[in-house]
Amino acid sequence: MAHVTDDLDQGFIAEALPAFISEAQEQIEQVEQLLLQLEDAPDDGDLLNALFRCAHTVKGSAGVFGLDAVVAFTHHVESLLDQLREGRVHLTPQLSTLLLQCNDQIRLLVDAAVDLAADLSASEGLRAQLVQQLQQLTDGGAAPSQPTAAATPGRADDGEVGVGVGAWRIRVRFGADTFRNGMDPWAIVAYLQGLGELRNMQLDEAAVPCLEQLEPESCHLAFDFELLTQANAAAIEAAFSFVRGDCELEICELEVTPPPRVAEVVADVVAEVMEVLRAEPAPAGEARKGKAREGVAEDGRFIRVQADRLDAVINLLGELVVASAGASLLARGTRQNTLIEANAQMERLIEEIRNGTLQLRMVPIGETFSRFRRVVRDTASQLDKDVTLEIVGGETELDKSMVERIADPLMHLVRNALDHGLETPAEREAVGKPAQGRLTLSACHESGTVLIRIQDDGRGIRRDKVLQKAWERGLLEPGVTPADADILKLIFEPGFSTADQVTNLSGRGVGMDVVRQNIEALRGTVEIESVPSEGTLIEIRLPLTLAIIDGFLVGASDSKFIFPLESVVEVINGDGQLELMQSSGRCCVELRGQVLPVMSLRDIYGLPIAAGSRPSVVVIRSGGRTYGVLVDSLLGHHQTVIKPLSRMFRSLRGISGSSILGNGEVALIFDVHALADLAATERMKRPIRSSRSPVSHLS
Amino acid sequence: MTKALEDVEALEALEAAQPRALPAELSIYTATETHAQMLHWVDEAGADGTGPWPLQADAVAQADAAGLQLLLALQHSLQARGRRLLLVQPSAPLRHACSSLGLTGLLNA
Repeated sequence: MAHVTDDLDQGFIAEALPAFISEAQEQIEQVEQLLLQLEDAPDDGDLLNALFRCAHTVKGSAGVFGLDAVVAFTHHVESLLDQLREGRVHLTPQLSTLLLQCNDQIRLLVDAAVDLAADLSASEGLRAQLVQQLQQLTDGGAAPSQPTAAATPGRADDGEVGVGVGAWRIRVRFGADTFRNGMDPWAIVAYLQGLGELRNMQLDEAAVPCLEQLEPESCHLAFDFELLTQANAAAIEAAFSFVRGDCELEICELEVTPPPRVAEVVADVVAEVMEVLRAEPAPAGEARKGKAREGVAEDGRFIRVQADRLDAVINLLGELVVASAGASLLARGTRQNTLIEANAQMERLIEEIRNGTLQLRMVPIGETFSRFRRVVRDTASQLDKDVTLEIVGGETELDKSMVERIADPLMHLVRNALDHGLETPAEREAVGKPAQGRLTLSACHESGTVLIRIQDDGRGIRRDKVLQKAWERGLLEPGVTPADADILKLIFEPGFSTADQVTNLSGRGVGMDVVRQNIEALRGTVEIESVPSEGTLIEIRLPLTLAIIDGFLVGASDSKFIFPLESVVEVINGDGQLELMQSSGRCCVELRGQVLPVMSLRDIYGLPIAAGSRPSVVVIRSGGRTYGVLVDSLLGHHQTVIKPLSRMFRSLRGISGSSILGNGEVALIFDVHALADLAATERMKRPIRSSRSPVSHLS
Repeated sequence: MTKALEDVEALEALEAAQPRALPAELSIYTATETHAQMLHWVDEAGADGTGPWPLQADAVAQADAAGLQLLLALQHSLQARGRRLLLVQPSAPLRHACSSLGLTGLLNA
């Protein structure tokens, strides 16, 4: 195989590698999920077969890209998986742990293929140990069989020692676009050579036109050859997986005498094909082609689309919404009813298209949830705890970028629940609970938001302990006891930790405030409820998408601003506030017995005074803080397509993005959290003077 | 005239004339340029004689299936003009590519 790697152009590898990495990561994730599922059903043949196929695919594709380290390591894993599926080795919890560790190493090696700076030397020792353990299991302690990694990627014989060699006739006609798609038929042939012995190679020379008629980048190659191999049809067909949609492929077995043991383990798909081959009088190739087409149709249910392209479409649709709003505005100006109606109809359709397109970005959260199975398994065993993870509502969909960004906060919350919340079996039994703790991750849609719950039936949070810490750490004045609900919120304060001992899982006190910040950055909220000795429930609410929000449009001077509607609590008359404003643009008012800090948009952003304004105070709640913003005019609800700010404006404080209004005007969208910080910081810098009444009573 | 004698004469002619040579990279990335160059050669092939048509092949360091396809197409075009492609001193990578893909006929031509 080395020669193929050498000869493959580096540019081609660079182009195709990301696709391989992405596919391989999916397979590795699948391996992990399968291993975890197998812990409940260690003898499930389907799961074991699927497990083997995943590892085999990773190894095979890694071979095509010359990732010898991946091939060599996965080879050992694959050998053991093969013995597992054949029932020669039984899957024990220890073995499962070993395989999970191996899978982690495969992930590391695959990731290192793109990260040139990755240093694998630190984990080399661990891999060597793992390989040794794998070999002991597969060979019963016999001398290890060296994988011929570079020369035989995807070699399927290693797990089928003693099995007779099968002879296969392979006819393949590559599609015209094979070269343009970055594939080289030679690489595939070389890959097959790695599976066994290739003979009687014939190239259909007549299929290649003469130079004058040849388009140099179109492929006209067709091969007919025999392959002697211990690999099965599925493994042979897998070699063509990258070109399957663009080639005619026939694979016929010449000597159909596999030993019974092989026949048992050959994938179902091969059995089906063989049945058709035997039953149908039609040429064997037709059957194979039919099967291949079916496979393609199956694949056709999903289309892989680059996220960037989707974003570009959504962006354009945002523009379309703005343009359509502008057209409607003009139409209304003409007072022609038919034109207005036509525009309204168009606006509705555009809205539908936009909603449909935003839907394309939606992915089920279940995939993220499933990753926690491993976390729960490993963390619980590290802490000598017995915990079962229940996942509810994994099919709930939310924006892909949201799913990616919520994974880390969720991870921290899950670890926290395992570390601090759930007790050891002995502790649980002592208080009359079942020995096994329960952690539930659930998701559902609720009134236009996604609600994620992390619930455990652990010891709950002791409010007295929280209070004690808060006093110690100066988060509260000693002796001050806030309301019950507020005590729990202290957990999300920076630097808070209730762990008596800092463990390597959590308890460094750097997590929960970051969790809250991350969730709020997604315009989400996090709430916590806890009953001592019964458990804790954390609720995270997230908007469905990051691309569009319901906004509340306001004006200050000639400028327009948008508040996210969900953060607007109420609006109060602001007539009396102007004279209270200090030079810093801030003052405080009393609202139903509470002091409400108010800032003036005009003063903060240095906007000129507008004539005829009717000032109002928009009351905003963000991250548990309430504050008011004095604006000149209220312009109502506005469906807002968020556009990021250019680099030049990123330093603008309190602003998170922009939106274009129907008349082409730009409105700036507030980051209400940052705005609250802005209000708080400035207030501290410039304390309210006692000479001026800090508090005014609103009528 | 025997085939061997024909080849010797052809080689002498090659040395005397402007040498035709395959590029170091005979792959999809150079296919368009190589194709254009080959078309140019083929145009002249009918005019500069009959029999073997030598092509220096010792410089080929990289080859892929697209490159070999070009050689096959060249062979077809030459045959149509009554000429036979003669690869001169084919490099090891080219030999390997040809033998892997069942094109040993090109080497023995």
